[in-house]
Amino acid sequence: MSQPILETKSVSKVFGGLVAVDKVDLKIEAGKITAIIGPNGAGKTTLFNLITGVYPASDGEIFFQGKPLKNIPAHKRVALGIARTFQNVLLFGNMTVLENIMTGQHPRSHYGFLGAALRLPRAHREEETIYLNAMKYLNMVGLGAYAEQNALSLPLGQQKLLAIARAMATEPQLLLLDEPGAGLNLLEKRELSDLIHRIREMGTTVVLVEHDMPLVMGIAEWVIVLDSGQKIAEGTAAQVQKDERVISAYLGEEVE
Amino acid sequence: MSADQFVQYLASGLTQGSIYALVGLGFTIIYAVTRIINFAQGEFVMLGGMLSFMLISSAGVPLVPAVILSVLIAAGIGVLMYVLAIRSARRASVISLIIITIGAAIFIRGIAGGIWGADPVRPPFFSGSESIPFLGAYIHPQALWVIGTMVVVTIALHLFLSYTMVGKALKACAVNPTAAGLVGIDARAMALIAFALAAALGAIGGVVVAPLTLTAYNVGVMLGLKGFVASSIGGFRSPIATVIGGVTLGIVESLAVGLNWGPFTSAYKDAIALVVLLLILLVRSGRLALEERAS
Amino acid sequence: MLARIKSKWTYLVSAALLVFLILIPFDWFLGHYTTLMIFIGISTMVTVGLCLLMGYTGQVSLGQAAFYGIGAYFSAVLSKTYGVNPWLAMLIAAAATGAFAYVIGYPIFRLRGNYLAMATLGLGLIIWILFRQLSQFTGGPDGMAGIPFLSVGGFVFDTSFKRYFLVWFFCLAILFISQNIVRSRTGRALRAIHGSEAAAESVGIDVTRFKVKIFVLSAVYASLAGSLLVHHLRFVSPQPFDFLASIKFVVMAVIGGLASIWGAIFGAGATRILSDELMFRFGEWDVVIYGLILMLVMIFMPEGLFVRLRQLLERWRLRHTWREAEP
Repeated sequence: MSQPILETKSVSKVFGGLVAVDKVDLKIEAGKITAIIGPNGAGKTTLFNLITGVYPASDGEIFFQGKPLKNIPAHKRVALGIARTFQNVLLFGNMTVLENIMTGQHPRSHYGFLGAALRLPRAHREEETIYLNAMKYLNMVGLGAYAEQNALSLPLGQQKLLAIARAMATEPQLLLLDEPGAGLNLLEKRELSDLIHRIREMGTTVVLVEHDMPLVMGIAEWVIVLDSGQKIAEGTAAQVQKDERVISAYLGEEVE
Repeated sequence: MSADQFVQYLASGLTQGSIYALVGLGFTIIYAVTRIINFAQGEFVMLGGMLSFMLISSAGVPLVPAVILSVLIAAGIGVLMYVLAIRSARRASVISLIIITIGAAIFIRGIAGGIWGADPVRPPFFSGSESIPFLGAYIHPQALWVIGTMVVVTIALHLFLSYTMVGKALKACAVNPTAAGLVGIDARAMALIAFALAAALGAIGGVVVAPLTLTAYNVGVMLGLKGFVASSIGGFRSPIATVIGGVTLGIVESLAVGLNWGPFTSAYKDAIALVVLLLILLVRSGRLALEERAS
Repeated sequence: MLARIKSKWTYLVSAALLVFLILIPFDWFLGHYTTLMIFIGISTMVTVGLCLLMGYTGQVSLGQAAFYGIGAYFSAVLSKTYGVNPWLAMLIAAAATGAFAYVIGYPIFRLRGNYLAMATLGLGLIIWILFRQLSQFTGGPDGMAGIPFLSVGGFVFDTSFKRYFLVWFFCLAILFISQNIVRSRTGRALRAIHGSEAAAESVGIDVTRFKVKIFVLSAVYASLAGSLLVHHLRFVSPQPFDFLASIKFVVMAVIGGLASIWGAIFGAGATRILSDELMFRFGEWDVVIYGLILMLVMIFMPEGLFVRLRQLLERWRLRHTWREAEP
């Protein structure tokens, strides 16, 4: 592939005595939809946390668009173009649906305390842009009717869509979705698939961690399998499904 | 400073530190079991002293019943505080709980001030007032009562937590509240016991030190703060570290005053505890930040 | 449609309140409340800072009186002892207080919840002890007198009447600025931090930097308030800057509604009037009522008394408007 949008070289994370991520090498191709799967506790969310900078890696390196991410704090990685959603959603419960998305525009806007305090013209202009962009993402996920409602008043499926809209509002090149399908019904999962395709069409690379096999097999163009912190297989969905190591890793696990 | 003076300051530091240890134990117990910082902890010490004064000097109650009664009343107030103020605040945020306990502290202090006035009072000594010579210093018998009480209470607490059902249940809550709930331990009952116990501990300290250092309605704030420092040294979880922390703080304060280091006149004595507090929090903050991220 | 009704209503009410405010210090109106209103205005300035810090950003400060005091003492000492122009002194005081808040902000805001509360409490107490002990500068526990008035050109703010307008000018300016901040990208960032720090970070917000910035802003507000205080009283002492003062500001913020800017006036006003009344009727028992109010409000109305009243008013108006629309 041409330069991968995201690359990890032998990255590891150790918590006390527990090795959560063990020398993982990844190459994520730009513009593709990649899925990371594996049994519970395989280190998938930890890997996301390392990529987004929630905590530093114990060893190894991570490169985004060829640039090393070491020592770049989490909030700055967002400005670089890495966005994520969380397993437990983490919406801003003290804001409306629209405000949540507008907050996502934070890294793409610039006016600060002074501009805000004195209501400078630049602040006005940027607020307009923020509002319009936020509405765009709001409608992209189909939540336009709920703009003024409190974010937590939405049912879980729609909250997850809101979280994705918020992440998209940061205008990322790489979007990491942590179990976006969890807790969704069949219809919602289909809408989620469509949404992920649309996001890919907009030029954003999507990486998702998922447990739902049909969902993964349906949209993932590349699948990486982790178990106990190590990468044990990767390939197309079809290839991975037949891989012996993958099957044995999941033995005893509920496979939908 | 001569050796005699050193021992003298050491002794007074040990005495004061024993109180900090008792107050600190109260913080530790409540925090360990409920994750709440009880800003009213210092007030229970004040209550112990004031109640014992009122019972002994004003009502003529003999010593032992007065002590027991004071501790029981204080424990009762602790229970009331938990039931009325804390338990009613369902799903309260950390900030809300902090403000609620501060409100309780102010409330208790205000009532004490209203009932007993602002003047300091002194209950009578437990066993005479002749200072006992020891290693070149003179130790007041009441000071021995203080130190002795602290030692006895610490041992008793340890035995209670390790060998009784209730004590072990409390410990279980402290270590893993979810698991404790799953084996049938009632979190609210444990919280209630924790509050009662912490109040009792504070009151015991208050009862035993009041004859020595006087007491008034407003001693709670500083004592509470220093007890908090003691507890923080133990990470708010370890009773032994709390006791060691409290005693050490008392000794350091006393020696600092005695040695008259640089600008450390006795007026700055209180500042020592505060600086220690900030240092501990600073150290802790680094570790806390790491813990949080990992979860 | 409802929004337009609301803004017309808001304009009318605001205009009426402004007129009311302007008329208060006149003898033929409510002139004897002038001094009270000066204190309320000064307290509001400190309270707004707390609202921004606690209500919007979700942090805690139990030592806000320290900043209030630093502003007061810097103004007092610079203008009295060193003859510095009082306005310049006020500016220096605000800068110094802000710088101090900035320096302690970064280490302090690595803490959360209880630990943060304790750290601010400890800091507030240390500063208060310093006020008492550094007597060669501060005049010690007895304080110092003879602080000059503020003046512009030949116009000296030597009467309560004049100082009333000065204080409320500052107060309203701060309220407007704070309202603007809250409604902006910055305000969203602060509220995001309160909502979920992890999520805030995930949308590019530098959480610690924002916390420190709002902390500094609240410190500057408190400093300005302190400066205005000493140029009004012409006297400074450590007494108004103790732990209880910090708690009183928290009470004001809580009653006013932690997440309400204009509620700060209500909170400061209600607390001050209540405290005066209580002092008058019950002497030292006012402290008891403080404690009671704190507990009751936090247990039953954690969003604050003012905000709660506003919600009830909103609901009543909604019902009223709806009924009008029926044939």
